[in-house]
Amino acid sequence: MSEPELDLTLPARADNVIVVRQAIAGLGEALGMPDQRVDDLKTVVTEACNNVVVHAYDGEAGPMKVTAAADDDSVTVTVSDQGTGFRPRASEGGPTLGLGLPLIASLSNSFEISGGAGGGTSTTIRFALPSGKVEAPETDAPAAISEELNMAISPGAMVKPVIARVIGALAARAEFSVERLSDTVLIGDVVSAHTGDDFAHGKTQIAITDGDGTLDVRVGPLVEGGGRRLLDQMDLPGDQGSVRGLARSMEITSDETEDGEAAEFLVFAVGSD
Amino acid sequence: MRTGEIALHTNDTGLRVVAISGEHDLNTAPDLRARLDELIEAGDPVIVDLTPATFVDSSILGVILDARRRAQEAGIGLAVAQGDGADAVARVLEITGLREELPVHDDVESAGAALGDRRPAA
Repeated sequence: MSEPELDLTLPARADNVIVVRQAIAGLGEALGMPDQRVDDLKTVVTEACNNVVVHAYDGEAGPMKVTAAADDDSVTVTVSDQGTGFRPRASEGGPTLGLGLPLIASLSNSFEISGGAGGGTSTTIRFALPSGKVEAPETDAPAAISEELNMAISPGAMVKPVIARVIGALAARAEFSVERLSDTVLIGDVVSAHTGDDFAHGKTQIAITDGDGTLDVRVGPLVEGGGRRLLDQMDLPGDQGSVRGLARSMEITSDETEDGEAAEFLVFAVGSD
Repeated sequence: MRTGEIALHTNDTGLRVVAISGEHDLNTAPDLRARLDELIEAGDPVIVDLTPATFVDSSILGVILDARRRAQEAGIGLAVAQGDGADAVARVLEITGLREELPVHDDVESAGAALGDRRPAA
């Protein structure tokens, strides 16, 4: 299996399942999957996420990690946790595995559940792709931890739809106005367009924390000068102005990566005034 | 993309209709459960209209199945409709066999007709 082209880590909460679903829908569309199979992929990934949210951490907080990788003929999505695993227990009125596993089994081309017994559980789902999918180069997947939502996407056609859908889901959840939502998607599009060499790990990396009607977005790590180049991209051609002003704040910060290397980040906040 | 909404209205035959629009999953399942519980406790026959829904997962289907069981126990009618709605919802109803099991009616009117006795004489 190739390195993941999409790597998304976020808290295992019920209100985050829609964020994963939108990211995966963007990926499926970018891979040229027919609408019905995109729907099926959304259902299957949702059910796998439900299992994590309901069963992994016994109501405690914990991470839900979703990776996706495609090769010539299939896309493989893995939903994993570090929790206690599914337990076969009766449930009175609460959510159960009831219809979830049969949906995963009948809608995916193949699936596998592994782990358990305290070591975390992974559900790996494979969907066949129509021939002639878009190619996405592979790079090393950096570890993603600590922020509210961490996402790493390999350069390619899925960057824009995945970012747009994730931002759309988070903005809708934060009850952005339509105008603010479109501003946010516009900024997301600029970030999407700026793939490639300016990202320290070769992948578009974004961390998003959602607060009270606000999304705090951190783009990077970027290579030296990458923050400035990305910021310059916010200025539209000619005299069309800049999308910088659509954010409540936008700045370049310096920080260390997890490896202790210096790196730049473009940090901005969007949301209600 | 929009997240899910649950709206309650009374149709022109006096039946309570819970219309589910947008995307619904584990996050909105407790709201739907609470809405349906209220109606069942009040003794109102109810139509669950999935026509405006664009996505439902197994937790939503589980809530509907539970509500139908409780309605049956209470002797109250509960009917489900999914008319010309999203393919994604239709497909999940097909795959799980719920279209026949519930059953799912083709529109709110036929769901209302299935609840029969509350429908005023024409």
